[in-house]
Amino acid sequence: MRVSLRAKMVLVALVLAVIPLVGYLHVQQMERLLREGQEQALLATARAIATALHDRPELLELRAGQPASGEMELILKSLARADSRIWIVDQKSRLLALAGDLKRSPPPEEAPGPLDLATRLVRPVTSFILDRPSNDFDDALPEEEIANGPVATSALQGVAARRWRQTPDSRAVILSASYPVWDGERVVAAVVAEETTNRIRSVYNRAMEQLVAVTLIAFLAGGLVLLAFASRISTRLARLRDEAEAAIDSQGRVRKLLAGSAARDEIGDLSRSFSTVLERLAQYNRYLESMSGRLSHELRTPIAVVRSSLENLKLERMPGDAPVYLERANDGLKRLDTLLTRMSEATRLEQAVRETSRERFDAREVVRGCGYAYPQKKIEIDLPDPPVPIKGAPDLYAQMLDKLVANAVDFSTGDEAVRVRLEARDAQAVLTVSNRGPRLPEAMAGKLFDSMVSMRPADGGREPHLGLGLYIVRLVAEFHGGTAQAIDREDGSGVVIRVRCPLDSGPGP
Amino acid sequence: MPRHVAIVEDDAAIRANYADMLKKHGYQVSAYPDRKSAAAAFRVRLPDLALLDIGLADEPDGGFALCRELRSLSAALPIIFLTARDSDFDLVSGLRMGADDYLTKSASLPELLARISALFRRVDLQREPPAAEEVLERGPLRLDMKRFQAAWSGAAVDLTLTEFWLVHSLARFPGHVKEREQLMRDAHIVVDDATITSHVKRIRRKFQAADPGFGAIESVYGLGYRWNS
Repeated sequence: MRVSLRAKMVLVALVLAVIPLVGYLHVQQMERLLREGQEQALLATARAIATALHDRPELLELRAGQPASGEMELILKSLARADSRIWIVDQKSRLLALAGDLKRSPPPEEAPGPLDLATRLVRPVTSFILDRPSNDFDDALPEEEIANGPVATSALQGVAARRWRQTPDSRAVILSASYPVWDGERVVAAVVAEETTNRIRSVYNRAMEQLVAVTLIAFLAGGLVLLAFASRISTRLARLRDEAEAAIDSQGRVRKLLAGSAARDEIGDLSRSFSTVLERLAQYNRYLESMSGRLSHELRTPIAVVRSSLENLKLERMPGDAPVYLERANDGLKRLDTLLTRMSEATRLEQAVRETSRERFDAREVVRGCGYAYPQKKIEIDLPDPPVPIKGAPDLYAQMLDKLVANAVDFSTGDEAVRVRLEARDAQAVLTVSNRGPRLPEAMAGKLFDSMVSMRPADGGREPHLGLGLYIVRLVAEFHGGTAQAIDREDGSGVVIRVRCPLDSGPGP
Repeated sequence: MPRHVAIVEDDAAIRANYADMLKKHGYQVSAYPDRKSAAAAFRVRLPDLALLDIGLADEPDGGFALCRELRSLSAALPIIFLTARDSDFDLVSGLRMGADDYLTKSASLPELLARISALFRRVDLQREPPAAEEVLERGPLRLDMKRFQAAWSGAAVDLTLTEFWLVHSLARFPGHVKEREQLMRDAHIVVDDATITSHVKRIRRKFQAADPGFGAIESVYGLGYRWNS
């Protein structure tokens, strides 16, 4: 699977997810501490009230079911906490007093902070995971809690206790703490103080919301920055890759050099070294390409020496067999000369291609001429009726056609004529030259049109073959803005070489 | 008195071979290996014809310089460039320097001799008063076969010897297609097809300079050229 650099970078950034996790644990810890504190405070309240009632049984002379009054009320009021409910129960499970309200206070106010907006924005998300404390819960004191509640029971047996329980409708959690009221050695009643955990819940929620908000903001911002950074790097790398790919064409020739970025980092270094490598490759390619031309040039002088010597020799009187050897030497010289001419032909054509100006011509006329040029060989020419205008050089086009036909004739087997066909199709002038003969060797695919590539067997024939013919075809085709392609005939009985050049759509000459 | 041909060529073997050959054909030959010795000798005495190589030892364009020097000494002296270079660029440069012809070293000695004798013939005739003229006229084209001079509608067209022979070969039988091989034979050169093509291109350009509507040389693709009258 291909994972882009960008994706990898973002994945690595996921390590940072540890930070909000730590935050979450911290908030949990804080909640635990708060709860502990609340328990202690509630227990202290219960103890204070119980202490106030110690040894004062008269205060517990009770009007069961009535709200506390008088001194009792005073004690309860002075010691009670906001949002807490306090009740007193005696050994007979009678409710002696009840004060306070679990719901009385308004929900805690949130001081507006810098994260306020963010927390509000993330609230739709956080409300999924957080219990929002509500004042709308069932705050009735269940009978059973008074009679058999573990907190009250424990206190009535002389042991202070605390406990968390759900409201009957499960909308809130209530913390209750109890403390026994002693009369001498005897527990006469139990004071139970109750509070909801809503306040802690609120604080907890707020902390969580802020945590989520901060995390989201940090991740969003960090992610964006990372993404931008990663994108920039990937873009630069991708551009470098594209440039490097575009620099060398399918024939392996260096088309243009990389600019070599000026960036002072590793990618810049990479691009610069690419640039250097390509330049060296280009130099080497130029050297190779110019080699045949230079070689033929360098060889001309020694050949001229040989030729002029032979010509001088011819004027001398020669003994016996000498003329035969002279003839052979001349023959060899002629072959050498042909070879050199072919070698420089490609170079000269490259030069001509650079310097020739383009004109509009009818490709039919050029193709028609090729029929006259090979009268002794069997050639079938198929031309369309309407003109086939091309912008280019008719001389070069003719030279290309000459190479194509010569190639086809050389490879042709049997009596079948070489078929030359010109047609205008899809705004292109398509020239096909087809001959019966052996198929294309697979190993040569894509290389046939290169310089010095020949698929002829080295049979030492009289005509030297340098593999420049199809290279010239390619040069001319490219000069006309077209392409050359060699394929097997569909039935495998031969080879088709096809040259497509764009038609000249402009007005007539 | 034998005619005096000067050869300036840095390759000793070629120089000696050409000198021997020309001597056998009755010319008096002086051979020089470099520009300095040749220039010094030319200042003392001008040859009747000069064969120049372009690249001379350590001077890649020494032949061009020598050609300029010779031209300043004599406007009529026939000059032939003989070189291993065969690029169109060198050809054009050489001809612009005022050379009368340009041959590559792949040219054979008979080709060279044909040129030398033709150029001498031209020099001789220019000295004599015009007598029996041998002229070929095809419409606006007028070819003076003795002086190797061409004119189009009365305006002189400055052709090299090779070019002149090519035009003559084409214009002799208007309407007939001349194959490249025939053209080469008629122009006393053996070169490849591309060189003929560039020769013809240059000829067309020279005529077009005299008459922008010139279109008498028609390409018959794959075959050769034809003179349209």
